[in-house]
Amino acid sequence: MKQTVSQQIKKKLEWLGHCFFYTVLVLGGQRAAYCFLYPVIFTYVLCGRKIHRATAPYFRRRFPSHNRLALRLDVFKNVLSFGKVLVDRGWMGLNPKAELSGRFADSEKLRAVIREGRGVVVLLAHVGNWQTCLVRLKALNVEVHALMEFDQERVSKHFFELRGEKPFNIIDVHGFLGGMIEATAALQKGDMVLMMADRLHQGRSASVDFLGSRANLPIAAYHLAATAGSPVVVLFAAKTGRKNYSLAIWDIFYPGRSGREKREEFVHCAQRFSSALEKYVEQYPYQWYNFFDIWAQ
Amino acid sequence: MRLQRNDNRWRMENLKKDLKEMLVRDLKLQDINPEEIGNDDPLFEQGLGLDSLDAVELVVLINKHYGLQIKDMEEGRVAFASVNALADFISEHRDTSTG
Repeated sequence: MKQTVSQQIKKKLEWLGHCFFYTVLVLGGQRAAYCFLYPVIFTYVLCGRKIHRATAPYFRRRFPSHNRLALRLDVFKNVLSFGKVLVDRGWMGLNPKAELSGRFADSEKLRAVIREGRGVVVLLAHVGNWQTCLVRLKALNVEVHALMEFDQERVSKHFFELRGEKPFNIIDVHGFLGGMIEATAALQKGDMVLMMADRLHQGRSASVDFLGSRANLPIAAYHLAATAGSPVVVLFAAKTGRKNYSLAIWDIFYPGRSGREKREEFVHCAQRFSSALEKYVEQYPYQWYNFFDIWAQ
Repeated sequence: MRLQRNDNRWRMENLKKDLKEMLVRDLKLQDINPEEIGNDDPLFEQGLGLDSLDAVELVVLINKHYGLQIKDMEEGRVAFASVNALADFISEHRDTSTG
């Protein structure tokens, strides 16, 4: 597809922006890059319209009482937090000694579920610094597969491949039958399959309550887990300090064991995921990076 | 020799019949009888209209009924092309696994 001149300029500017931040990261480290983030994001939030359109559906529901000015501040905090996550990712990718320290409070629970030997479906969402935290999964001594979009693969590749350590094998969701054959085979071997469960791209979905409105969430993960007889673990990461994070299990359930009719069972599972996500955004309102109107689908 | 060929053909026909019955019964296909499924009809999208979630069930069913694992999309693409392809896959891999 041919790009317009403005698209070409935008692309060039984005590329220059990336180069600038990588140079700052190499020369000044994480703290210096954070300092540059403030004016850049302030200008972006002040002048840009797209980001307000993208975040408004979430913030209108998360903070219904906030006025226009407060909402602008919310968007600034949100984008700044996202910028810091991106900086961390670049910083860790470029610097082999860079480490974030964190705690995975429920790691023993996850180990116990893995020991059951029926594979595990781990549900993630576009929140917190999930990609950097996935390094921790290496310590679980189980093969990890991530069902991902190609674009996401590029982003994570950037971080993990620069570091030369890829903690998971990527299954392309745009592959034959959405990568479901590999995912099923992995669960049958007792492996872990990671899936994003907060955004519907295609396929079957369920309407659930999320922040006071109905949202459509995908149900493929629950179907996969129920068919393979695997448990579902809802795992979210959160950035808790400049070099700190926390990784926690927000729910564990076993789709297909309740005796409900299939469709009803999957709606129930999607609602459980949505409730866990709701609790997460209550605690970390600015670490919501799903810049997409999930209520409009 | 001829007897063996006839026996093989009979086995394959039985296998295809079993597979069609399994598809209709276990994937709960509505308004379709096993006999209506053509041996060369595509299983996914056009054809029987199965989707990726049916593929999950099919992988588990093949494992449960025939003890075979479909490991990746390349294997799945070949095996799930039609009833004929699935029967060929099962017969070939069953023979291999039983030596």
